[in-house]
Amino acid sequence: MTGKAMGKGTLLAAFLLAFVVVVLFFYGLDHLVMGIQGLPLNPDLSPAG
Amino acid sequence: MTGPAGNDGSGSSMGVFASSMLFSLGLTLVFTLVANLLPQVQGDAPVEKKVDLGSLTMDDFVALGENLFMNKGTCTLCHKPPPLGRAPDIQGENLVEVARQRLADPRYKGKATNAEEYIHESMVDPSAYVVAGWGKKGSNDTESPMPHIDKPPIQLSPMEIDAIIAWLEAKDGNEVTVELPTAEASAQVAAAAAPAAGPPAPAATGEEAVRKYGCQACHALLGSTASLGPSLEDVGARLTPEQIRQSIIDPNAVIADGFTPDVMPPDFADRMTVKELEMIVRLLAEKKP
Amino acid sequence: MMGPGRGYRRMGRAGRGSVWSAGGRWPYLLLALMLLAAVPAMAAGTTDGLSVEERIAPIGRVQVEGGPEVAPSFGEAVRAEPEPPLAAPQPQRKDYPDIGISSRAVVWVVAQMHLFFGALVLAVPLFVLVIELTGVLTRDERYDDMAHEFMKISLVGFSITAIIGGTLALALFMLYPDFMAYMMRVFRVQWLWYALLFFVESFFLYTYYYGWNALRYGNRKWVHLTLGLLLNGAGMTIMVLANSWATFMMAPSGVSETGAVTGTVWEAMKGPLWNPINLHRFIANIGFGGAVVGAYAAFKFLSTRDPKLRAHYDWMGYTSNFIAILAFLPLPFAGYWLMAEIYAYSQQMGITAMGGILAWLFIVQAVLIGTILLAGNFYLWSGMSRTEGSVRYQWLVKYIAAILVICFLTWMTPHTLILSAKEIATLGGSHHRILGPLGIMPAKNIAVNLMLVVTFLSFQIYRRSDKVATVSWAPVGNAFMVAIYIVAMANIVFAGVYYGYFTNTVYKVGSSVLQVASTLVVIVSGLTIDGFMYKGAKKLPSHWGRVSNRSQYALFALPIAFTWLMGLMGYVRSSVKTYWHVYTIMKDNSPDNFIPTIGYAGNMITLVTVLFVLFVLFMFWIANLSGTRQPRPAATGVEGGAT
Repeated sequence: MTGKAMGKGTLLAAFLLAFVVVVLFFYGLDHLVMGIQGLPLNPDLSPAG
Repeated sequence: MTGPAGNDGSGSSMGVFASSMLFSLGLTLVFTLVANLLPQVQGDAPVEKKVDLGSLTMDDFVALGENLFMNKGTCTLCHKPPPLGRAPDIQGENLVEVARQRLADPRYKGKATNAEEYIHESMVDPSAYVVAGWGKKGSNDTESPMPHIDKPPIQLSPMEIDAIIAWLEAKDGNEVTVELPTAEASAQVAAAAAPAAGPPAPAATGEEAVRKYGCQACHALLGSTASLGPSLEDVGARLTPEQIRQSIIDPNAVIADGFTPDVMPPDFADRMTVKELEMIVRLLAEKKP
Repeated sequence: MMGPGRGYRRMGRAGRGSVWSAGGRWPYLLLALMLLAAVPAMAAGTTDGLSVEERIAPIGRVQVEGGPEVAPSFGEAVRAEPEPPLAAPQPQRKDYPDIGISSRAVVWVVAQMHLFFGALVLAVPLFVLVIELTGVLTRDERYDDMAHEFMKISLVGFSITAIIGGTLALALFMLYPDFMAYMMRVFRVQWLWYALLFFVESFFLYTYYYGWNALRYGNRKWVHLTLGLLLNGAGMTIMVLANSWATFMMAPSGVSETGAVTGTVWEAMKGPLWNPINLHRFIANIGFGGAVVGAYAAFKFLSTRDPKLRAHYDWMGYTSNFIAILAFLPLPFAGYWLMAEIYAYSQQMGITAMGGILAWLFIVQAVLIGTILLAGNFYLWSGMSRTEGSVRYQWLVKYIAAILVICFLTWMTPHTLILSAKEIATLGGSHHRILGPLGIMPAKNIAVNLMLVVTFLSFQIYRRSDKVATVSWAPVGNAFMVAIYIVAMANIVFAGVYYGYFTNTVYKVGSSVLQVASTLVVIVSGLTIDGFMYKGAKKLPSHWGRVSNRSQYALFALPIAFTWLMGLMGYVRSSVKTYWHVYTIMKDNSPDNFIPTIGYAGNMITLVTVLFVLFVLFMFWIANLSGTRQPRPAATGVEGGAT
């Protein structure tokens, strides 16, 4: 694969970055999807109100 | 199936046909088998049943109400003990007492002035007062998800609704305030189908019997933390089997410290089968901390 | 009968009755006859003083004239009649004809057969059109040939659908006259549009199929594609019209509380459940159609040793499976929407379906869907043997299989929610005894969503197995894909466990939307990332036909499970109405007004499934027959002329 061109360190960084981005995305998704149903969440994802 | 058309040199068309059909039929039979292995329940339509108003007693009327609540009224679809319920656990609470609290609640905007009217109102106009936390999603407890009981598909008659109110009042020992229906009011009362005919099936285990008679509604038992009556989680250590039996048959004979007499219905012995009573006694006698 | 002018109208009614039957007009006559069968029940109240002939004549006239002026003139004729605020009929038991066997069973079998074939012949032209278009865009003639072959094998299905549909109509009018009279009253002129659409559909069907080779290249091909589009348009319209009757029965609209018609036909059609059912059936039809033609390909594959034919049918089977599984993946979401609308319409109806008598049915449903997913996954894994590049992904298969099996078992764990004391007695216990933490909805939601996610993973690695990405950012793309899978699955489990067991009911229900959204994110992002990442990718050699015989049985399992599942869902959809013909408006007082047991339903569904298989075999046989030519008697006795 073309991954060889990037080196191991860069690859690891890419994986970490991807993970952080995806986790943040799903965190936002949780708030959004529950929010539009009228079920707000606290920052720690527990039910608010 | 292919005949000459499928004849392309392999010569195995018939074999393939046979094995693919066998496979397909076999699979179909597996599905059929699964469907037949499950518990078989038939959903009968309610049958209209005449009630002789001349000989109708209040006890019959209350019993009719209970039957309607359990069957035709489909109330127990939603009104069941937490965490299964989708509505307040009516069977587990003294509704007359609850109604008094509701009427005193500043949130209450309905027209009822007493418990009977309140219960009636919540059946024919469920949104008049929505118990906190049970409203339709997003309505902030202003709109009830409950259907109007006097409208289709449930469509109970006024008399049937009265019967349910009578039972709801009677089941916790309150005075029944609704009046017996008169002959002029209606010539017919619809009652539930087959189950109405016989008494409910006897329980098979002590635990089942406890639930059947709702012991845990007042006593801490089987996960319940109710405190209307003394906790039964450790009753085996306090009482002998004979004392337990006596307390069920004649609840007022001995009253535990800190509890009031006449709270526990005295008629359990009449309603239970001997076997059920013995199963409950045995279960309770083993409850030691 | 060549378009008599308006002045003939009166004469036509009074004196020209005999002409109607002349000159091949029998379809119109048939139509008028069917109408006649429906009219008597309503006639008494609505059209006193008119003879049968007088009432029928203007209708027949309209059909003959054809053309655009037709419909309005008929519509006026109907609207001109006074419309008393008639309540829905409330037939008593004696009003239902007794034919010695269960009327419901008769209608059940015929209606389900009609639905099976209807679904098949609506779905096939749909993906045939897509395949044909693919052929045009890729300039690959193989697509065109395959599309043509799909049409060929389903052609007889159209006639079978129509014949069974006619039988169904007759059975309904005969066995449920009051109910059908009421439906006629509610939907009025729509019935005629429905009949008319069959002519439109037939026209496009035959021009589309028989014009295939005449309109094969250049601009003519676009004419042909347009015909296909119109064919699908007609088919889809027929489906949504028919759906409106079913949804009206479940959640009536356009009528008063007593059933008196208060709204227009359109208002009666657009009930709260109409569009959810439309979407659900539309998607399911595609999956069903794909599964059935896949069985054809599998059979042809197994019964030949010619490598060229094997390659062709392997590819055809793969395409069919692809269609079936792709359509199947979004189906639970459409089903979720439908269930949500049912709950919104009537919580009681929703609970009857999910938590009452019918709750056990979802165990069977789990078995069926599990079969479909396992078969679909197994076929994809087997298909990886077609390319060398698949070794890169083989290691994943055992994990996918493990997740599938665990989720499948979780899903099947029975749960009970009790409706009545009678059921407690029947089931032999109270709910808590059987109810384990795995038996309730959140656990099942986790299982279903995880199964869908890993099925998509199977699909994705299969698609990747014959390609090597050449874009520079491929490792980053892969990193994101891995992260999305892991986080999405974690999110599905978290939402199910946390909101399902540790918060209140409202959040529990809301969390299932969250799970569904997570699954959709995986599917959409997977398709998007791979779409870009494998643009201009290096293709590894792939060998069609190099697949095990055993894998083909997955292609038989798929349509059987699909067919059975459709039958089962028909049972639940009809049963949630409990003892109503039209929910809350028209009571069912027939001897069959109870919800049958799941075992009885299972036997009925098996009966219909077997019947369907037999009819489909006939359909395939006819398709092969058309390509068979008997050799000249003078030649040797050897039979030849295979397709």
